Amino acid sequence: MSKVFVTGIGMISAIGNTLGENRTSLLQGICGITKTKNLPSRHSGILPFGEIFIDTQTLKEKWKVTDEGVTRTMLLALHASQEAIQDARLSHSQLIANDTALVNATTVGGICLMDEFFRDVNKESNGSPYLSSYEMASVTRYLRSLYKINGIVNTINTACSSSANAIMYGARLIRNGLASRVIAGGVDSLSKFTINGFNSLHLLSTEICTPFDANRKGLNLGEAAAFLILENEEELKGKKLYAELTGYGNSNDAFHPSSLSREGDGPYLAMGGALASAGLDKKEIGFINAHGTGTENNDEVESRAMLRLFGDPPPFSSTKSNTGHTLGASGAIEAAYSILNLTHQEIYAGLHFKQPIPGTGLRPVTTTQRISLQHTMSNSFGFGGNCTSLIFSKA
Amino acid sequence: MLFIHQTTCISPQQTFPEKDINLEYLYESSDNKLKARDPGYENIPANQLRKMGKSVRLGMGAALPLIPKDPKGIIIGTANAGMEESIEFMKQIIDHNEGILSPGTFVQSTPNTIASQISLYSGNKGYNITHVHAGMAFENALLDTAMLIKENPLNTYLVGGVDEIGTKNHNIDRLQSWYKKELVSNIHLYEADSPGSIAGEGAAMFLVNGNKTNAMARFKALTTLYSEDEDIVAGRMQWFLDDQLRTGENIDLLLTGENGDDRLLKFFSACESIMDNETTVARFKHMCGEYPTASSFALWIACQVLTNQALPQHMIKKGSIKKEYKNLLIYNNYKGMQHSFMLVSKIS
Repeated sequence: MSKVFVTGIGMISAIGNTLGENRTSLLQGICGITKTKNLPSRHSGILPFGEIFIDTQTLKEKWKVTDEGVTRTMLLALHASQEAIQDARLSHSQLIANDTALVNATTVGGICLMDEFFRDVNKESNGSPYLSSYEMASVTRYLRSLYKINGIVNTINTACSSSANAIMYGARLIRNGLASRVIAGGVDSLSKFTINGFNSLHLLSTEICTPFDANRKGLNLGEAAAFLILENEEELKGKKLYAELTGYGNSNDAFHPSSLSREGDGPYLAMGGALASAGLDKKEIGFINAHGTGTENNDEVESRAMLRLFGDPPPFSSTKSNTGHTLGASGAIEAAYSILNLTHQEIYAGLHFKQPIPGTGLRPVTTTQRISLQHTMSNSFGFGGNCTSLIFSKA
Repeated sequence: MLFIHQTTCISPQQTFPEKDINLEYLYESSDNKLKARDPGYENIPANQLRKMGKSVRLGMGAALPLIPKDPKGIIIGTANAGMEESIEFMKQIIDHNEGILSPGTFVQSTPNTIASQISLYSGNKGYNITHVHAGMAFENALLDTAMLIKENPLNTYLVGGVDEIGTKNHNIDRLQSWYKKELVSNIHLYEADSPGSIAGEGAAMFLVNGNKTNAMARFKALTTLYSEDEDIVAGRMQWFLDDQLRTGENIDLLLTGENGDDRLLKFFSACESIMDNETTVARFKHMCGEYPTASSFALWIACQVLTNQALPQHMIKKGSIKKEYKNLLIYNNYKGMQHSFMLVSKIS
């Protein structure tokens, strides 16, 4: 089976509009989570969010988009995928080739326009320009038609692990000879729908999230988009290589629709599966970008699963303390950060941590530092018990 | 690619449970909708059943008979699962002005609820994924499963397609004129000279692996494309047949997703025109209605035709009932843009 390399990355999040800006913010320990007043929600100004401070109209103008039915989610995906495609120097003929695939992930899709959606659902006639923008596949369909992709096209939704699975699916398309290059990633924008959903579950913290801290009070939602360009080893001539994608594991926790089992079977099996597929020993993982949402359940279970698998876990932290939890984008955002760890041989401080969780005693990395790394792991766990871990290795 | 060993299907027709399958009798649509015939769901506890949305109920109901075979993973294709619950939750948000809300419908609003409920119910901690790419959701689920079998040749997997007619989300497709404005019965679906189809829903599940012994059908190949040009679509079909069929082999049955929408007829005409007289042409959407994962119903029908070597008369468009069905080609088309071809063969 062909090896899979990352040759391009593009991203936009609350801590930067490009990959470079994101890295600078990570190095400087910048937290992009704020009590914004811009969101069309009653919780705006009260709850903190990882918002991208570019309004939808400005994004439209930047990318010269005039189509009325285009949503914020589509624009964030366009912004990040453009950077990734340019970064990997994919030509037009490569983009339209039959062996170029597009795999996107989202959990919000067109429901970023919740009020418009609800009005259209109840209308007798004269729907809004967004009618074809609400379905989960709408963002991917938009990118497909823009880039004129002719290969395999897919959208995955496994809640908060969606884009980790999109990257895994893309890598497997290459390994199975079904694609030579894949644009893989995910996107979600902040929505009144998810804000109220997570709030109804009492999972939103009124303060800035504190992953792995004993007194953590919940997560902060954020918005982001990130895409990786994956290519098979025959495609690489003279290209910049960020990393090799060497391992992935997907497992279901089979415990509860919205929380993880005490011993973390799903996370344990996903991390173990990723190690097995990469053919690596647990001692070879140099750093883990943890799922680390800052909720009571996740951080304790993830800690326990890391202890169970690694005994003495490698250095780890959660970049959700910088960006907030970006749901369908988080797997791709954090995959990109795990790749930055490798290419620059550096790890970034987890923010806002004070005291370890009693019983686990695990401390995330709290100082940014240079470190020698061969392999990094990125964890993503979602509602419905959908757990996925990815492993990247130095190219 | 893979071998199909067992299937189940809950649909608007008499397709479930297996012992009661009757494809000759055609249940009629009402109000331009073909609704799935809910079976009794004897194996699902009543308190759990009440909490399930329709997609989850259909998916669980169809999956349960296959669960005892202990598949190593659950791969679901669905475009709209959870959409009805999403809309219910939106209503709560608006009615209560973002106040105190009950989280139940929010948790169920995510499309991965079907796959995760099946895994929760059966304690399955294996591979678990949900593909949601509209009219290509089931096709991607199949492709994923084919890759899994190539990666793990000894494993058995559960793969399925599920979608529902939401009482409200149906309206979004209606506003875009994907359903007929005038009242049309499924019995006369192909006679209507107007845009749009009738709505449908269902769940079809397949237990698959790489082992030919005792299989009911062989899923040989799949190709998908995106185009609004019927010549490009027919060209892909010709390429697919040239690539897959050996000299002397023939397609015995072309099963198409013709759906009564006069705007889409050009695609079906173009594809039928490259078949020779040896090929019988049949249709299935008067049985299941139009929905994004209707190709899973078509694959279930193909398995029935191959195992029973019988084809109901009401499905035939052109040609005659055959003595033997060896190679079946399914052509489905979603909204005139997403196209898939699936080649399914009798076990030789």
